[in-house]
Amino acid sequence: MVNINFTVNGKPYEISIDENMRLIDVLRDELGLIGTKEGCGEGECGACTIIMDGETVNSCLVMGFQADGSNIVTIEGLEKDGQLHPVQRAYMEAGAVQCGFCIPGMVLSTKALLDKNPSPSDEEIREGISGNLCRCTGYNKMLIATKKAIEYMKGE
Amino acid sequence: MKLNIVGKNIIRVDAQAKVTGKALYPQDIYLDNMVYGKTVRSTKPHAYIKIDISEAEKVDGVLKVFTYKDIPNKNAHGVVLKDHEAFASKKVIRIGEPIAFIVAETQKICEEAYKKIKIDYEEIPAVFDPVEAMKEDAPKVHGDSNIIYHFKLRHGDIEEGKRKSKYIVENIYKSPMVEHAFLQPEAGLGYLEEDGTVVVVIATQYPHYDREEVAINLGLPEEKVKIINTNVGGAFGGREDISAQIHLALAAMVLKRPVKVIFSREESFLAHSKRHPMIMKYKTGADENGYLQYMEAEIIGDSGAHCSWAMNVLRKAGVHATGPYVIPHVKVDAYAVYTNNPYTGAMRGFGATQVPIAHEQQMDALAEKLGMNPIEFRMKNIFRRGSMTATGQILTDSVPLDRCLEAVDERFKFSQLWKEVK
Ligand code: FES
Ligand code: FES
Repeated sequence: MVNINFTVNGKPYEISIDENMRLIDVLRDELGLIGTKEGCGEGECGACTIIMDGETVNSCLVMGFQADGSNIVTIEGLEKDGQLHPVQRAYMEAGAVQCGFCIPGMVLSTKALLDKNPSPSDEEIREGISGNLCRCTGYNKMLIATKKAIEYMKGE
Repeated sequence: MKLNIVGKNIIRVDAQAKVTGKALYPQDIYLDNMVYGKTVRSTKPHAYIKIDISEAEKVDGVLKVFTYKDIPNKNAHGVVLKDHEAFASKKVIRIGEPIAFIVAETQKICEEAYKKIKIDYEEIPAVFDPVEAMKEDAPKVHGDSNIIYHFKLRHGDIEEGKRKSKYIVENIYKSPMVEHAFLQPEAGLGYLEEDGTVVVVIATQYPHYDREEVAINLGLPEEKVKIINTNVGGAFGGREDISAQIHLALAAMVLKRPVKVIFSREESFLAHSKRHPMIMKYKTGADENGYLQYMEAEIIGDSGAHCSWAMNVLRKAGVHATGPYVIPHVKVDAYAVYTNNPYTGAMRGFGATQVPIAHEQQMDALAEKLGMNPIEFRMKNIFRRGSMTATGQILTDSVPLDRCLEAVDERFKFSQLWKEVK
């Protein structure tokens, strides 16, 4: 067992975990944050995407103990004062949500992109979500949603 | 008429739950006192098996290892033919076929026990090519013939069609097996309610069929079985057959504890159906004016080790074999054939997706022989209002295919470019 201290969605945690536990299992099984999904377990699909110290990572490829001292944002941490994040709202409105299994990861990748680059080109948007597979939508709706989100964020 | 819904953007009811991560898929559900399951699957395509679970059951924390011996009633399921065993009993017929279901206190213990399961495979000749499988002396997957289904379509008089055809093209087309790869790998839970009702929580395309299959295999009346459908993380036809439903229900009923199973991506690939690969032999003829006169097609679909929706898929392939073209003389034979390959079933398009690979390339090949613009050639032959299909249906309503072709041609500038290169 190892002890780790980290912050998830603004809340500090100090927990003791099995050293061979992956970060995705820590989040889901230990903290109950089931919004983080596992689609492949090997870094291919991006369903397990989270934001760790400002960077998106595949939480299935990160060991739990590596999260020690980090600041993590999961899909559960995006709403503010009961309000959806503009990216969440835009995804809903653009019809970019179908089965939904890719969506938490997709939304987080989009948010991380816009945090770094508030006015990306189409090319950059596609690049930004290129690590997230979606089997339902065909990706164009994500592009539309992201452009909508950019507008909303400008208005904020 | 004022329309309140049509023409308006409506936000789907589950969108908010999905963008906030609150939407539940089976893997997201945790119950008190829950144990875990793991499926043991065949690693051989065709073999007689002997199963020894004794060492696995001795592992600390293992509750039970289920095999065919534990199925209380009928060890058989399938959407059309009951040709899947819930657990293989004497013989495995494909890689990935379930043989046993380990239930243990944790997933880790399941993995440990998994290594201790001994399966003795006595391999027998297998068949992987559907054309070979149709032969009398091929190894048989089930019973005494591998041919599951033959769809015959006869329209007009083929000989007359041949006489009238100045140009004939003959080709063989092959389409591959395709995996759905829905993003949410199969997962599920089974538990018992106080009155003995068995509940299975799963993402499925057919809760009502699942209920019937679970009831039959467990020997329960249907009202003692409940299937709860969660959010479904993509399916595309790949969740029409049984995955873990029967195993979960059985384990919950016997052990009286909630049981959860989650497939890895690799196991998901092994577990569910695929798109039928098809071998399509086509002969198509047109007269000197560019009008289609006849088409003869033989379509062989590889069903793999189980039937699943084979008849429905090969019928659809046969019905759509001409494509959207008026052809007065047509002969189609479509077959579904068992092999020891992964089984095939429903996938988007359901048999109508494969045949365009053949009929459209035939159109291009014929246009080339005629020296005609392929768009113009198609325009001469497409279905319009009032056309009759090869199955005898008169298309009485909207058939805007001409408009579609025109729009495509304009955008691609196809005819324009065709003129330039001529
Ligand atoms: S589950 Fe981590 S990348 Fe697919
Ligand atoms: S919405 Fe289904 S995988 Fe993206």
